[in-house]
Amino acid sequence: MIETIAASRCPRCHEMVAPPAMYCPRHPVRMVPARLPGVGEIVSFTTLHSPPEGFRSPLNLALVELEGGARFFCHGAQTRGLRIGSTVAIEAIDDVYYFSHIGALDRARLFWRRAGRAGDRVNAIARSVVKKVWKGTPRA
Amino acid sequence: MADVWIAGAGMTRIGRRSEPLQELMAEAALTALGAAGLEQPDALVVATMNPEEFVGDGNFASNVASYIGLAEVPAIRIETATSSGAAAFYAGFVQVAAGQRRSVLVVGGEKMTHLPTPRVSELIGRSIDPYERSYGATMPALAGLITRALIARQGITLREMAQVAVKNHANAARNPYAHFRDPVTVDEVLRSRMVADPLRLLHCCPISDGAAAVVLTAERTAVRVAGVGQGTDTLAVRHRHDLVSFRATQEAARSAFAAAGFGPERVDFAELHDAFASFELIALEDVGLVPPGKAGHITLDGETAIDGRLPVNPSGGLKARGHPLAATGLAQIVECVWQLTGRAEGRQLDGRIALAHSIGGLATNNWVTLLERP
Repeated sequence: MIETIAASRCPRCHEMVAPPAMYCPRHPVRMVPARLPGVGEIVSFTTLHSPPEGFRSPLNLALVELEGGARFFCHGAQTRGLRIGSTVAIEAIDDVYYFSHIGALDRARLFWRRAGRAGDRVNAIARSVVKKVWKGTPRA
Repeated sequence: MADVWIAGAGMTRIGRRSEPLQELMAEAALTALGAAGLEQPDALVVATMNPEEFVGDGNFASNVASYIGLAEVPAIRIETATSSGAAAFYAGFVQVAAGQRRSVLVVGGEKMTHLPTPRVSELIGRSIDPYERSYGATMPALAGLITRALIARQGITLREMAQVAVKNHANAARNPYAHFRDPVTVDEVLRSRMVADPLRLLHCCPISDGAAAVVLTAERTAVRVAGVGQGTDTLAVRHRHDLVSFRATQEAARSAFAAAGFGPERVDFAELHDAFASFELIALEDVGLVPPGKAGHITLDGETAIDGRLPVNPSGGLKARGHPLAATGLAQIVECVWQLTGRAEGRQLDGRIALAHSIGGLATNNWVTLLERP
């Protein structure tokens, strides 16, 4: 299942940030609460080999662009097969967010939900398959 | 606005130093005052990033002023994280440009090597966004994210990135003030320990002690401050739209060149903030010295080497001259002044216009300073 993530939106520039912030980073106005689906594309990722105290090495960190615009910072259990542009799901475990490769079922559900008309559905699923083959994203 | 000139420059040898921070700053300040032929400036600007926690002293403008015998000179302290030195230079520059002071001594320094490395990393890391820090993000971690995106988006190769470190170590080998005097090879860089994938140890700058100082004056000297520009960006990397270029650098460069009245094509050499090797490649394009997508090629081709068309980091840069935080922005300017006035023995360039570029935090508060020998 895809979780939703708490975010906030600037009433001035409509920029979304996650987690929610009191004020827009670029405008001195209060942000409005919003929620975003916990799924997005990897913008970049790294593995830190000497993390700060309290974190286990190696530590996987990723920046994920959520559907709906906000970029989200999170941990990940593993980066094998991960690429910039890979679709990942975000889930919270004890209030800490982790990314993981998205499963086939979730992927299908997601495109089903997104696509409105039957034609779009077929296109979306086809695109998903093409993208998967092209990027070589492994199954979760 | 009045013209502002540089009357004197000085710095300590950068590296692991046993002297107290105040003594390092005194050494740099007195060298700069001596070079300017000045005993007492009209004002003092002090740059330190975090003396409260690195050395346990506060009220640091007065602390330094009293230590070096300038207790009765008006003093302020400036802090913009790792670009504090460049910001302090600006604070001195505007006082002279506005006609408020005839001469200002600007001195920056930091002392960290007496602390364990994890503690230093933690203290430097406090300039990162608190949420990202709560996930274990450090400066190398965020730089690793940026570097991976740079490789994917711009096609920068690991070899091109390694060449930045190789070049800067080679330059530092000729600089008696540098932290590292030993050259490194591309293979050594590519085989060094992984820090934050794809960044390896020899892509990263060291932890250094040191201080640097300049005297600014309203009277004509050999070097004029042609322009100073500042640029800023969000504290959180996740709030930015672009990972592989820094808005803060682009904006700083735009406003420095606008003040100077000339463009990047007039720059003869540059000191760029290469805390991580990939940052030198990003900066080359962000300040406009190189067209987008070309920084890696031209580095590998030797164009930015000390005998190249556009020497970059003749001092050895943060990578090899060293990075004593608040000293760094001023150490870059000192190197430019020495190059422009024929005092860069062993690595002397022939140039009239120099550019210094300093990054504060993870590119949240950046500066570009242009110096000219008229």
